[in-house]
Amino acid sequence: MLRAEFKLEYNDVFRRKSVFISMLLYPYIFTAFTLLLAYAGGSPRVFEERFGVNPVIYLMTASYTLMSMLVSVDVLLWRPLFDEENGTLIYIIASPVNRLKYYLALPFPRYVEVLILGATSALPVYIYFYGLEGLVLGLLIISLIALGSILMIPFAIFIAGLVHRVGESWRLLNIVRPVLMILIGVYYPRFYMPLVGRIVSGIIPSAHIVEVIQTIVLNVNTDFYHLFAIAIALFILYVPIGRWSITSWEWKKVREGVKIT
Amino acid sequence: MLRLLRRAHAIFKAYLLASLIRSRGLVYALLGFGLWMILIVAPISLFAEEGVDTSTIASRVFVGIVLFYYFSFATWEWGAELRWMIMRGILEYYIASGSGFIPHYLAILPVTLMWLAIALSISYALLSILWSPPVIVVYDYLTLIAGFTMYTTGLLGYALILGGSMITTGAAGFFVEVLSFILPIATGGLFPLRYMPELLRSIALATPFSYPAELIRHALLGIEPVLQLEEAMVIGATYNITLLLAGILLFKHQLKKALREGFPSISLW
Repeated sequence: MLRAEFKLEYNDVFRRKSVFISMLLYPYIFTAFTLLLAYAGGSPRVFEERFGVNPVIYLMTASYTLMSMLVSVDVLLWRPLFDEENGTLIYIIASPVNRLKYYLALPFPRYVEVLILGATSALPVYIYFYGLEGLVLGLLIISLIALGSILMIPFAIFIAGLVHRVGESWRLLNIVRPVLMILIGVYYPRFYMPLVGRIVSGIIPSAHIVEVIQTIVLNVNTDFYHLFAIAIALFILYVPIGRWSITSWEWKKVREGVKIT
Repeated sequence: MLRLLRRAHAIFKAYLLASLIRSRGLVYALLGFGLWMILIVAPISLFAEEGVDTSTIASRVFVGIVLFYYFSFATWEWGAELRWMIMRGILEYYIASGSGFIPHYLAILPVTLMWLAIALSISYALLSILWSPPVIVVYDYLTLIAGFTMYTTGLLGYALILGGSMITTGAAGFFVEVLSFILPIATGGLFPLRYMPELLRSIALATPFSYPAELIRHALLGIEPVLQLEEAMVIGATYNITLLLAGILLFKHQLKKALREGFPSISLW
């Protein structure tokens, strides 16, 4: 399954190089966009005084996190919809493949893209600002984001199963995606969120890893081990829940029939 | 003329019903807009000085958003519309009917403006919640009208170039999405040129959109443009009219090419 998924993804990547290049550009674009909005609303000096860090480092890390999470989560959220629209969902439902393994395999080819994305976005920025030490720090951040993306899989499967039960699911996905990114705290850290926001975001495994990353980048003291433990515990918890969510959605499809467009 | 208006009315009705009412798209789109806005705008509070007037921050951000949205609408509602028409398989019918694209664009213009108004209202509400209601004061009506006229002229030219390129190259939606982010940034749409680093300012001034953006900011925020007002008006008007003419010529050329060689197949949204 992994080989098939890798082939599918990379045939597309090599065929449509412009898409891949655009993806690599996105962290820079988002950084520039948020930085310029920040210039309009305040001053980078204030940020630097508050955290002792250049805002470019923070925003680039945030933009890279955003892209990585979207790259890995999107495939799980959109694939059932694409399969339905392409008319391939009926074959997938009829296949004897283990459903959990299938959905777990989907985002893995994208993790290579996540690593490449890190090497072209976060790493150069860290090296530029911190030199050799930045290389180590950059690699640590990339590894943490890769871990965060992996820990997100069962939760994303759970969400995909839930969303696709409802009609208008593509429109719903366009709401779910920004909600997830806000709650994960990619641009606005969890530790600044109000209590309700913190509690709600606490149920997302990757939110804790992103918090670890932000505490490292912003030099905020926190208990890393505690956050890692919660993230991994949630990951394990969501595996059976994700499996239930996606299989029960498939049963619903079997009961109701698959729409062929 | 009457036939054109009848066609435009039929298209307008179809668009409004299909995209806003029947598919409940409006509600979802409103929510989506607002949420992406929260995501991008929220970190600004990390940059704000304590004790600074929050309505000033909100006003500057709001004007940046106005310019960005207007640009995005030119990209997606005007330029990329031709791409959707290819994907839906209706472009050929338009050409075969001999009606041209004017009724279509005339019809979607009110929908575009309505979307723009809604998107801006949401942004305004969100900024009011996050910081404080943006204060919109028109300091100079003439400059504001001149700025928006120039911006619209330039954006029409840009949309024609973009649309023309799409019907002959099948440019991916992903590429267009990147373009719709890069161009407003590079052209000084988000941020006053006065506070930009020298290099970025020079890049922005090399593009036609920076001049109307500076005029609009001057009219709404009272921020002095980097050029003299009259100078910005003359250069901006010349530049944007030239862009529109270039857009019309290029579009006609691309359409002829597409009719000769056929439309490309498009697979990615």
